[in-house]
Amino acid sequence: MSKVAKARYAAAAVPGFTHRTAMEEAARCLLCHDAPCSAACPAGTDPGRFIRSIRFRNPKGAAETVRENNVIGGSCAWVCPYDNFCEEACSRCGIDRPIEIGRLQRYVVEQEQVQKMKILKPPAKKKGVKVACVGAGPASLACAAELAKAGYAVTIFEAEEKAGGVLTYGITPARLPQGVVDQDVAAIRGLGVRFALHTRVGADISLDALREQGFAAFFLGAGLWKAQLPDIEGTDLAGVYAASGFLKTARESRGRTGLAGKRAVVVGGGDVAMDCATTAKLTGAAHVAVYYRRTLEEAPANMREIQYALSLGISIVTNFAPVRCVGADGKLQYVEFKGRDGNSSAQVAADAAVFAIGQAPQDMRQLADLSLTEKGTVKTRSGGKTNLPDVFAAGDVANGGKTVVEAVAEGKKAAAAICKRLDALHEGRGK
Amino acid sequence: MALRKDLSIDYLGVKCENPFFLSSSPVGGNYDMVAKSYEAGWAGVFFKTVGIFVADECSPRFDNNGKEGLPWVGFKNMEQISDKPTELNFEYMARLKRDYPDKVLVSTIMGSDEDEWKQLAKMSEQAGADLIEGNFSCPQMTSHAMGSDVGSSPDLVKRYCEAVTSVTKLPFIAKMTPNITNMNIPARAAVQGGAKGISAINTIKSITHIDPEHMTAMPVVDGKSSISGYSGAAIRPIALRFAAQLAQDEELKGVELSGIGGIETWRDALEFLLLGCRNLQVTTAIMQYGYRIVEDLISGLSHFMDERGYGRVEELLGRALPNIIPAEELNRDFRILPAFDYRKCVGCGRCYVSCFDGAHQAIDWDEKKRRPVLNDNCVGCHLCLNVCPVQACVTPGELRFKEGRQQGPVTMKTQYE
Ligand SMILES: Cc1cc2nc3c(=O)[nH]c(=O)nc-3n(C[C@H](O)[C@H](O)[C@H](O)COP(=O)(O)OP(=O)(O)OC[C@H]3O[C@@H](n4cnc5c(N)ncnc54)[C@H](O)[C@@H]3O)c2cc1C
Ligand SMILES: Cc1cc2nc3c(=O)[nH]c(=O)nc-3n(C[C@H](O)[C@H](O)[C@H](O)COP(=O)(O)O)c2cc1C
Ligand code: SF4
Ligand code: SF4
Ligand code: SF4
Repeated sequence: MSKVAKARYAAAAVPGFTHRTAMEEAARCLLCHDAPCSAACPAGTDPGRFIRSIRFRNPKGAAETVRENNVIGGSCAWVCPYDNFCEEACSRCGIDRPIEIGRLQRYVVEQEQVQKMKILKPPAKKKGVKVACVGAGPASLACAAELAKAGYAVTIFEAEEKAGGVLTYGITPARLPQGVVDQDVAAIRGLGVRFALHTRVGADISLDALREQGFAAFFLGAGLWKAQLPDIEGTDLAGVYAASGFLKTARESRGRTGLAGKRAVVVGGGDVAMDCATTAKLTGAAHVAVYYRRTLEEAPANMREIQYALSLGISIVTNFAPVRCVGADGKLQYVEFKGRDGNSSAQVAADAAVFAIGQAPQDMRQLADLSLTEKGTVKTRSGGKTNLPDVFAAGDVANGGKTVVEAVAEGKKAAAAICKRLDALHEGRGK
Repeated sequence: MALRKDLSIDYLGVKCENPFFLSSSPVGGNYDMVAKSYEAGWAGVFFKTVGIFVADECSPRFDNNGKEGLPWVGFKNMEQISDKPTELNFEYMARLKRDYPDKVLVSTIMGSDEDEWKQLAKMSEQAGADLIEGNFSCPQMTSHAMGSDVGSSPDLVKRYCEAVTSVTKLPFIAKMTPNITNMNIPARAAVQGGAKGISAINTIKSITHIDPEHMTAMPVVDGKSSISGYSGAAIRPIALRFAAQLAQDEELKGVELSGIGGIETWRDALEFLLLGCRNLQVTTAIMQYGYRIVEDLISGLSHFMDERGYGRVEELLGRALPNIIPAEELNRDFRILPAFDYRKCVGCGRCYVSCFDGAHQAIDWDEKKRRPVLNDNCVGCHLCLNVCPVQACVTPGELRFKEGRQQGPVTMKTQYE
């Protein structure tokens, strides 16, 4: 009999390290010369360096390395797909298994809090130039932090009540506790970055109005927040959800999804689908099944997330695509699927169906006259440059949906491009 | 931004940006090495010992001693002094001083008679050295007129110190050997001979392993081996003991101490500072990990000082000395019973095994719950606390005074890492 894990919605899925166990793990690190783990981190968090600090009993120095290189290093420690980045590159793989870099990073960021460290401070030299970042997700947070370090007066405009983007409104808290996100956001506030929450740019305030207020450049890190439902019959039934809304409601209500004892079907094969399934399960659903139209091999979800879903007793059915949702009295009763082989079919009874079938951006033209791709994402060149000279974009809204750490990396690059442009303008004015 | 405190400290009248120096050994053996170490953040170097004698080395010449999967707890070497021509070494030093005037250059020398000591001292001064160190302590010289054989003879130490200080005004440091019962005797002799500083320790005579395949010690050199110097983390406790004894010696008051032996982390460094060493030297940790370890020495010490409100390294010096007292003066009126945190205990039973087989049979093993239960036999030795693998699971608990003893306030350590 397989052992299915029982857990609460917001209980951490993986335990952390103590001083001793962190040191034991750090002692396994080979302290490589040109650490491949560091080279493999898109955001430049430099794990080789912070692990060395742990090894030499300097956890505070380790915390500085993480926070200075990756301002949301706390969240990354929890959700990065390390097996595609630092841990995959780890030299120790040649001996046995990689160093648990993500977990060590988590320990380091925990130490930052335990030791009450305040690592990032506003720079002494201010430029007196204002920059606006749209969205408070990983891309914007990283961009804002770099700009603030360079002396710009940065304001982040966020449509929602809380900062964090997907970190706060998407990923299940078992994989990423809100406290970790809040700690990261506090570090950014510590740099003097201002947050205008509950303010949707393009609706509550226009870009032009901000230009008039003296904002000299704009960074768009708006993510992919359009509610996506498939073009099939019955998606208007009660009990049918788009993934983004489902996850957001779960987080906002602290796990009150109303699914206790019920049956849920999740459609999709990415990390988002896994998060929807684990959220459904952790918030009390009696039976949760994921249906994916292709094979597991083709599924974009990280294997760790798939395994986590399986460990909770969630079943994953592959090669079945949804055909329609059927209900009575306006309420969902079952979802009908068709097999990829053309013969098989299934009618799956469900109180809830969550569609996690890819994400798309909201209409970005509402913000500005931007050049967009067919998918609606913002067309960008190096450094997140768009067709508008004072507007830059990065993260999911530009790359179509990748990872947190890549959003950080792109946000940092965009910040460098913004600095370059503003410095050039400034010099021009000086002449 | 990363915290960096001003760690500067004067050593024998020379301003050092921090107390961290390379000790005399291959880690400071030529221009490029020392230059790289300076760039990494080391404040100065005790250059690899230069003699008129040029060493002819064996191969291989190193071994290491480990425990339970951790290598390099201790390190054995069979090297002597520099194997490079005398003039070349001084040329390196002159270039280093010219290119890095703010870094501190100490020329470490070793002669086999008074003339050689004088000659080397003069060459050091000409090369621009800030200080001179006399190596009275290499335990594996091929000549008995040099090294630890000299260092364990107070007369020779004094005579050679006099030779050096008669020809140079540069402050002279005598480097002591730990292969002696009482280091204070040669140290006092050195000071009588004009030395202003004492550095300790050099390596400890050792055999790390016997190779059953070749029936000799490690490393195997053409089927044979020799007793030679042991260094690294394993020798730090011994080095600290010598440091404390030197620092507490009234006759050595005012003599500036440089601590050496097993320093790897800022915590190790701090221990030497708290025993009054105002200069710190490192070799083995650099051989194992590279010059980069200085980054965490600087950062870690900065954080410690910041956290505890110390403004300058100077304020740390010798803080622990008043509390290191003879065994007969310790308060023996009480015992502290261990407290077991059953929420943390994983039920390995190691405390039980150790207490029964190595202490006082004071732990009963609850076989059902698989947990330790303390009985009345406990003497408060804390073997259990030392052996428990779980952090903060066994901690100092109840304080009990021995029957009929004076009760009073007792300072207790409660936090263990
Ligand atoms: C459920 C789920 C799970 C995921 N799991 C992982 C994972 O485990 N590991 C991983 O690395 N990646 C994961 N990802 C992907 C990752 O979260 C994203 O790549 C990343 O969050 C992108 O960051 P971003 O800043 O571009 O956008 P977002 O995080 O989406 O942030 C955009 C923010 O902009 C705000 N906004 C949008 N429009 C406006 C406007 N007009 N005005 C003001 N504010 C606006 C939004 O409210 C939001 O807060 C997951 C994604 C999802 C959806
Ligand atoms: C390979 C090796 C060579 C050494 N050579 C010298 C030397 O030439 N002169 C000297 O004074 N000490 C020499 N030492 C001793 C070191 O300077 C130092 O005193 C000793 O190793 C203890 O410090 P550690 O534990 O940091 O290595 C040598 C040590 C090693 C390991
Ligand atoms: S690659 Fe692995 S072994 Fe090497 S420094 Fe990084 S974590 Fe350590
Ligand atoms: S460490 Fe360098 S010099 Fe020594 S044996 Fe190996 S390759 Fe040769
Ligand atoms: S050694 Fe520690 S963990 Fe093991 S049984 Fe004893 S108290 Fe418990």
